[in-house]
Amino acid sequence: MKKICALLLALSMLFALAACGGSAAPAATEAPAAEEPAAEAPAEEAPAAEEPAEEEAGDSDLSAIQAKGTLVVGITDFEPMDYKDENGEWIGFDADLAKAFAESIGVEAEFIEIDWDNKVFELDAGSIDCVWNGMTLTPEVLNTMSCSAPYCDNSQVVVMKADAADQYPDVESLAGLNFAVESGSAGEAAATDNGFDTTAVTTQADALMGVSAGTSDACVIDLLMAQAMTGEGTSYPELTATLTLTSEQYGVGFRQGSDLLDAFTQFYADAYADGTVQNIAATYGLEGSVSAP
Amino acid sequence: MALLEVKDLRKNFDSLQVLKGVSFEMDQGETVSIIGPSGGGKTTLLRCLNFLEIPSAGSIRVKGETLFDSADRRGLSEREIRQNRLHFGLVFQNFNLFPQYTALGNVSLAPRLQAKERPDFKARRKEIFDQIEEHSIELLRRVGLGDKLNYYPHQLSGGQQQRVAIARALALTPDVLFFDEPTSALDPELTGEVLNVIRQLAREKMTMVVVTHEMSFAEAVSDQVLFIDGGVIAEQGPPARVLRAPLEERTRQFLRGYEK
Amino acid sequence: MFQTVLLSLTEGFGKTLEIFALTLLGALPLGLIIAFGSMNRFKIISWPVKLIIWVIRGTPLMLQLIIIYYGPGLILGNNWWGSGASGRFTAAMIAFIFNYACYFSEIYRGGIEGVPKGQREAGQVLGMTNTQIFFRVTLLQVVKRIIPPIGNEVITLVKDTSLARIISVYEIIWNGQAFIKSQGLIWPLFFTGLYYLLFSGALTLLLGWVEKKLDYFKV
Repeated sequence: MKKICALLLALSMLFALAACGGSAAPAATEAPAAEEPAAEAPAEEAPAAEEPAEEEAGDSDLSAIQAKGTLVVGITDFEPMDYKDENGEWIGFDADLAKAFAESIGVEAEFIEIDWDNKVFELDAGSIDCVWNGMTLTPEVLNTMSCSAPYCDNSQVVVMKADAADQYPDVESLAGLNFAVESGSAGEAAATDNGFDTTAVTTQADALMGVSAGTSDACVIDLLMAQAMTGEGTSYPELTATLTLTSEQYGVGFRQGSDLLDAFTQFYADAYADGTVQNIAATYGLEGSVSAP
Repeated sequence: MALLEVKDLRKNFDSLQVLKGVSFEMDQGETVSIIGPSGGGKTTLLRCLNFLEIPSAGSIRVKGETLFDSADRRGLSEREIRQNRLHFGLVFQNFNLFPQYTALGNVSLAPRLQAKERPDFKARRKEIFDQIEEHSIELLRRVGLGDKLNYYPHQLSGGQQQRVAIARALALTPDVLFFDEPTSALDPELTGEVLNVIRQLAREKMTMVVVTHEMSFAEAVSDQVLFIDGGVIAEQGPPARVLRAPLEERTRQFLRGYEK
Repeated sequence: MFQTVLLSLTEGFGKTLEIFALTLLGALPLGLIIAFGSMNRFKIISWPVKLIIWVIRGTPLMLQLIIIYYGPGLILGNNWWGSGASGRFTAAMIAFIFNYACYFSEIYRGGIEGVPKGQREAGQVLGMTNTQIFFRVTLLQVVKRIIPPIGNEVITLVKDTSLARIISVYEIIWNGQAFIKSQGLIWPLFFTGLYYLLFSGALTLLLGWVEKKLDYFKV
């Protein structure tokens, strides 16, 4: 019953919101009613802390996060950066480092799988606090978020069927092939820069699937991903990484102007100095890729 | 004293005057036929008398009881309108049977709902419902449908549907039963069965007002004929005179159309 | 492996069913209220309601999901939904219920307006109250008229539930796609189709049964 009441309240609020054409004015009156549906949710979300947290957001993102007690990390399932172990626990180079960072600022890390296309929305709306998922530092990313210095190197590589690889020794020979690329990814940018004919798909995994299924001749994906998923003993034994198109670097994204970035920079310097970063990297076979602060 | 007295009844729809002052009386057991060109106000008169429209002016009295009087400025409440309607029954041109009920269900629905307002309803529920069912079956027998009690409207012919509608209108024992062109929507070969039922009711001295285009039927069954044209009663009198020797030119003109 | 996939898909399908059931539970009655609002003889009520119906039916559900979930944080600077699953789910439910209520309201309106005026008048001259006329005469005829179009919407809803994944509500498609990313397994995504097919098949049978139940009369 209470749930229904809360829902009805929220619905009427939406009516009001729609009627006002989404202007910002009604915020003050609407907010208490809207708190209802969140408030009836299980305590795990700690909704009580939400309000003061949001009020201070303009001043200090860090203290707001410390007030609510969780650092919400926006991720996707992306081995070896963020993925689940047998117990359903998030692990990976990024996940482990994020947990260590959260601990350093005195909060818990909470991982939320997001739709990668919506990462800026999620960040700006406050539903996540950072994007930390092997994110390539592209101009678009640097423009829309406050990004950390690079912490890991990567490159964009061409992946195709191993038995066809010999026919394409250089970039020129690739003209005329159809490339599957993740929409909005660094791989897409690299392919476009080289004038390739591309088909945009939702994820890098979809791109690999396209090559395997023969719907695309090749794809451009992250080297780290290509290493993890192609070749003998992997999901796609018949595929192989061939040419490297561009080199790039991974960074962590925060809200524009957030002071969380300073906290991260400090944390990373310390963690690199005491070897924590290198140790975690070694666990996931990335010791050769991590960057010094 | 007349059973039904209608005085100076008027009805406007916005600026359009449809009834411009209609007055007539009828006695218990009389049958009155209303004839006239379409658009002359016949249907509006029936709708006003059944309170499907509220008259703009005039008065309606039944058995000396005033149901409506525009001199009384108080206006009618929803409940009063409903009570008023119970004095009258109305048979529609298009039957308007309820499709989801059987013939018996159509006839007994309103009486069953009415019975709930009786003070002894709770105590005698089953008895009352049995009585209603018995009465409804009796009515359907009277209109010759004793063998179709459990048929749904779509399983009946137009003539049979209209006879169910008559039984339904009789179920609440109205003081006056109105018919709005009861055979107009029927194929010619089906009109006879419906007219026969009305004739039989007339013989049983049911008080009735029949809007009709069947002139020979009107002549045979009525005690009075009203010719309504242009929102007024242009001529009225015994059927033989109004239909055979009308005084008014427009009545003659109207009747000429039916001679062919 | 097969078992792991089946478990994960079934779990996701549970969420799908939850979205489906709660949407119907909220949208069917809300649609009736909106229908009465849009048929209100006072224009001050009917016009705003019609405007809302136009906006909701005229824009994609996917966009509505994004606006409802991210809107408060982006526009008002107060993300009252939080980050967790329950806030996302509540936001999704509001979008779904509102969207479907508007579609249902138009079906209701057509159904109610489709009942001939004579039915109502026949009830009136028999001394029935408006309430009695609605419940004893009109309602069942409306239901019979609207079952086929409502059925269409319900089947559409089964598949529309997958849109909730846009704001990270983990329903069956999300779980199916997760196997592509994590294990390079393609078949789980295709396998989700079987769940949809079986469920919409069962619904089709149910709707057919209801239609048959109302077959005893014609409107």
